[in-house]
Order: sequence, then structure tokens, then C-alpha cells
Amino acid sequence: MARAGKTQRKVDRDEVFLEYTRSICPVCKRVLDAEVSVRDNRVLLRKRCPEHGRFEALVYSDAELYMAQQRYNKPGTLPLEFQTEVRDGCPLDCGMCPDHKQHACLAIVEVNSGCNLDCPICFADSGHQPDGFSLTYDQVEFMLDRFVAAEGDPEVVQFSGGEPTIHPRILDFIALAQAKGICSVMLNTNGLRIARDRRFVRDLGRLKPHVYLQFDGFELETHLTIRGKDLRADKQSALEACAEQGMTVTLVAAIEKGVNEHELGDIVRFAVAHPAVRAIAFQPVTHSGRHVEFDPLERLTNADVMKLIAAQVPEWYRLDDFVPVPCCFPSCRSMSYAFVDGDTVVPFTRLIEIDDYLDYLSNRVIPDPDVRHALERMFSSSATPGAERTLLACESCGIDLPAQLDDLEDKVFMIIVQDFQDPYTLNVRQLMKCCVVEITPGGRLIPFCAYNSVGYREQVRAQLSGVDVEPVVPNAAPLQPLLQLTRHGSKTAADGGRP
Amino acid sequence: MTLAPEELKTCCATAYASAAARFLLGNSFHPGGAALTARLIRALQVGASATVVDVASGPGTSAIQLADETGCSVVGVDLSPQSIDAARRAAEAVGLGERVRFVEGDAEALPFEAESMDGALCECALCTFPDKRAATRELARVLRPGTRLALADVTARGERLPRELTGLQAWVACIADARPLEGIAALLWEAGLAIEIAERHDQALRDLLDRIDARLQLAGIARSFGEGVERARELTASARAAVAGGLLGYGVFVAAKR
Repeated sequence: MARAGKTQRKVDRDEVFLEYTRSICPVCKRVLDAEVSVRDNRVLLRKRCPEHGRFEALVYSDAELYMAQQRYNKPGTLPLEFQTEVRDGCPLDCGMCPDHKQHACLAIVEVNSGCNLDCPICFADSGHQPDGFSLTYDQVEFMLDRFVAAEGDPEVVQFSGGEPTIHPRILDFIALAQAKGICSVMLNTNGLRIARDRRFVRDLGRLKPHVYLQFDGFELETHLTIRGKDLRADKQSALEACAEQGMTVTLVAAIEKGVNEHELGDIVRFAVAHPAVRAIAFQPVTHSGRHVEFDPLERLTNADVMKLIAAQVPEWYRLDDFVPVPCCFPSCRSMSYAFVDGDTVVPFTRLIEIDDYLDYLSNRVIPDPDVRHALERMFSSSATPGAERTLLACESCGIDLPAQLDDLEDKVFMIIVQDFQDPYTLNVRQLMKCCVVEITPGGRLIPFCAYNSVGYREQVRAQLSGVDVEPVVPNAAPLQPLLQLTRHGSKTAADGGRP
Repeated sequence: MTLAPEELKTCCATAYASAAARFLLGNSFHPGGAALTARLIRALQVGASATVVDVASGPGTSAIQLADETGCSVVGVDLSPQSIDAARRAAEAVGLGERVRFVEGDAEALPFEAESMDGALCECALCTFPDKRAATRELARVLRPGTRLALADVTARGERLPRELTGLQAWVACIADARPLEGIAALLWEAGLAIEIAERHDQALRDLLDRIDARLQLAGIARSFGEGVERARELTASARAAVAGGLLGYGVFVAAKR
């Protein structure tokens, strides 16, 4: 006889469990166990701090794509030297410790903390601040030497800050790095001094670093929200100056949800047409340091940025024109190369079956090891415009270009889509293979996302400036009751995060 | 078609050995690339002790993949001495020079004894052989009973193809003399092979045409090939339309010797 009461039925979870890993508490930064799961085709990272509770953040907004990218995972390369020992485990032993899975493709030297702007969004928490630091020539030389010792022949050094162009010795630093045999020296700048100081531009033009120029869009509202000022005329002048001096430029666009995501297509069209611009780096805003309030579950990820490009420039790009970068963790960075000529844009992915070369998991013969090697150089964190040269010069190149294509170098255009981790999304699995590092004045090479999320940035700044720096906490919607302003404009937890 | 069959065969083999073909088609000269080749290889069900023939082996890419993935020995046959040379070099470069050999030869008169092979691979080439009956008979002849042929080819409803797809250029591009799926199946059956798998892979052809078109655009940027680029792009566009209309496609067959 059937009972009238309720029968209990087992119910399935609403998510697919992918991975057990480690992360940190965004408030107190202690190391926590974490779970990565897929729900509604979104990849989420979840963790629980015994003191500050449960945190959940969006890691990648397209789980299918995320899973498909895993096979682009190139075995790492050992650096010549490690700077630290394994003691407390990732991410507390940076860097690099012998457990790190990859050498450094690109190293950043932050030459100062001061800036000629006070942007509402700045992961470095820089600005017109009296309590900052400015590195000496000897300090920079020591840092570069440590990088050379670790790498042998290092690929890329990027001078950053603060605003590196206002450092009185920035030209000497660039010349020094070039003299040390670093393949590519980049200058990461807001472009104000390049736009306004003719003599500086002439001197810079003699050194010709690759200019990594902040460029977030064309609308007044975008400039006011991200930079706090209308910098549109300055950006144009800076680009003209670079073109005059024959300096090549990567436009670096910080993309924030609800602010400038509709401008991606315009940036692409502008960049393709501008004589000085060879590349764009699109970066979803890093929610470290200073930034506008955000919802960790609704943030932009690489998948969104690539889909927006494909939607806003459908005549040139498709989602599958973006290739996951194998040197770092493949979901951290995707890139696209294209030949451009007027209105014709032909992505490399349409010319060559890149899957045949950069799939590291399926154990099958590589059609041509030279082509794989050339592609690895192109799809890498150290790739700067010109990285396609190896492929184009390759005798047995999969594209096998007609002779006339040899001088096509200035017709190659690159788009990089890079998502940096923040204290919410930090996953040691990705971090352990990170190949973008910050060099500290002590000579350590700290993975960029650890530097910005775990507390290393605050430590280094306090040490260099001699002034205490409050631990920075993300300006996330769920944390609002805990937060108070730091003197640099970022947020910290009131009462040290005691609930 | 004004060329004699012999001239036609040579024309095809020479075209595929040319720099232009390498440029337009890349390393993999057929739709589906390495992934579809891997499917054909698995279907052969051969192990390390087997010897397999790859008929119309071109630059040797598939022959090398076959040897690498199964451990078997491979003999590639091609009509073009340039292709044979290039294929030999490619095999040596990956250390497979011993196990993968290449010989000059005609698909319609294979230089092997009857029942000497444990498998046969033939990718995107049947459509370029003028005497298809002779070629399929030869494939069947060299196989030991019970062993398999894995064949992929362009399929076409020839009588309904637009005129521009029936000329010499289109012949070289595997289109003009391609047969419908059931036509190829009939040829294989008549040659003494029992069909185990017959399936459509039209998307692979669509992808290859897209690739060729992108490479033609690139040739346009480089101002190479002169006006030929525009004509070739028109031909490509016409082929894409034919695929969309179901007149042109790509088929995969696995058949065992009866």
C-alpha cells in the first residue's frame, strides 16, 4: 500500500566538480583550499575562510572553451636559477621557488610608485603620492642582472611604475637593459610625457623601446571612469609622436564591465589603421589595487572579451581566431595574429591548422618541429610585434609564403587577451605556471598575479619607501561592509578584517 | 577536357608538388587534416608488423603519421619525383626513414605484388585518377584478403556541377571528375572490396576551401600570383557554393578485401 507521506528523493548537484586546489582569502590573504566547478557553462572558484566566510568568483565565462584550451599546455622550461626555497608552499614562497613550473618570459621593473595621473583604476595603487619610492640606477642594474642570471638571454623586460616616463633616469634604464642583451625592452606608459615633451620623445626615439600605451577607448565617459580625466587628445599626440620616431606601439586597453566593453571593435579598427600600432592588449580590469566596485560573479573574463571582439568586428575576427597561449596556463592568455592590408585582415588561424602543432596532450607526431617552435615563439607571453618573423623565415613553414611575403612584417597585427588573477580568482595551479614576473629590488622574480594579490606588492613598497602600507583588499560588492579607504585610494579591511 | 589521361595524371602530380600548391594547401593536402587522417588510420586496424601502402602519398605527411601512430611500415607511392624526394626528406627528418619508404609509381599500375599489403590508404586522390576502375582494382589487388582500404575523397554530383567547376583547373583541384558517394562505393565493391564504413565529411571540405580562400587573400596582400588570385578566388567561391548546395562534398570509406 502506498504511503500518503512524502518520499525522499536524491537530487543531483547543480554543478560539475572539476578540481581541488588552493587559493587565498581575499580579506586576510591566508591560504585556503579551493574548489573549481562548472555551473551553467561558467567556471567558478569557491573557497571558505574560517574567519571571513565563503567566497565565490567567476574564473572563465565559457566552460566549454576553458576545457578545450587545456590541451594547449606546453611543458615548462627550467630557469637557470631559482631565487627562493620551497618552505611554506605556493603562493607564499615567491619567487621563483623550485616548485615553479615555468621560467620567466617577461619581467616587469616598476621604477617608481609616483604617477602624473590618479586613475580610479590602478592595480599598482600609484598617483601623486608623497610616500612613494623611486629606484636608483644601481638598484635597477642589480634587478636586471638577477633576471639575466635566471634567464641567460632574457626575452622581454618591461619598465613600468607608477609612471616610468617621469623617472629622471628612465632613458638610462632603457639603454642599460638593451646593453644587457635583453631581446625586447618595453616602456609601459600612459603616454602623457610622450605627448607633451618633444625633447623626451626625440631621446626616446633614439633608443626605440616598444611602447606599451594605455588606451582604453574613445568615449569621454570611458576616460573619466577609468582614468579620471579626458586624455583623448594626449593619446592621439602620443601615437603621432611614436609614429614620427618610428617607435612601434601596443595599445593596452583595460576593459571593465559596463564601462568600455562596447568600444573593443572601434579600438581594433583604429589600431589596424594606425601606422605606429602593431598590437592591442585587451585586459579585463585586474581587481587588485585600486578599482571601482565590482561583482566577482559578474566580472569580465577572456572568453567575454574574445566574443565581444568577434561580435563587434565580425568581418575580420571569429572566436576561433584566438589561440590559447601554451607557455603560461592556457586559459590566462589568448592571442591572434593577422596579416592586414587596408580593409583586408587575414588571421593566421585561417592559414594554418594551429591545433596540429600546439596540442601538447594528444601524443601524435608533429608535422614539423620547426613550425611548432616558431609558433611557440609567436603564441607566448614574451611575444612582441615581430614574433612572427621566425615562422615567416622558416624554410619548411606551414604557410610556405611566396617570396614577396618576406617584407610583410609591417603588415602583421597582433591581439592579446590577458586576464590577470586577483585575490578572488587566484588559483595556485595557474600561478605555478605563470611566466610574467615582477623583479623586486631584492632580486626575486615574483609571478605577477601573486605580486598583486598575495601581499608582496605592499611588502616591497613598504620596504622601499620606509612607510607602512596597508594590506589591500578587493573593492568587491560582497565585502563592502568590511572595507575602508586607504590613503592611496584602494580599500583595506577595517580592523584588519576582524568581522 | 582536351588532355589525354596520361597528361592529366602528370599534370595533377606536378601541380601538387609545386610551391603554389604547398602555399595554398599547407602541409596537409586534403580536407580534414591530421585529425581525419587519424580516423582513417585507426580504421585500418594495423599493428607494428604490418606493411601499408599510401597511394598518392604527396609530401608524405599522412604516411609518416600512419607509421608514427601504429608502428607499422609504410610504402608511399606517388607519380611526382619531386614529391617523392620531399617525402623522403620529411621521413628522415623525423627519424622514420627506415620504416617509411617512398617509390615512384602509378596508382593505376601499382609496383607491388598481389596480396603483399596489410592495408592501404588513399586520401583525396581517386578523383584525380583518370581510370578509376583500374585504380580501385589495383588497390584491391595488392591487399591481403581480410585487410582494409581506408579511402577519403571529394564527392560530387558531376552532372549538376556549374561549368567553371568542370575544367582543367577544377580537375587538378579534385572536383571535375569526382564521383558521388554511392558511385565510389560501387567502384570499391566492383573491385572486390566490402564496404564497412561510408560517411560524409562535408564540413572538412568547407574548412579546406575557407583555408584556401584565406591563403589566396594573403597572396593578394603580397601581390603574388598576379591576376590569378582573383580567378582562383572565384573558383573557390563557386566550390563553396556547390558544397552549400549539396553538389560537392567529402566522403570517407573503409572497405575490407573480400
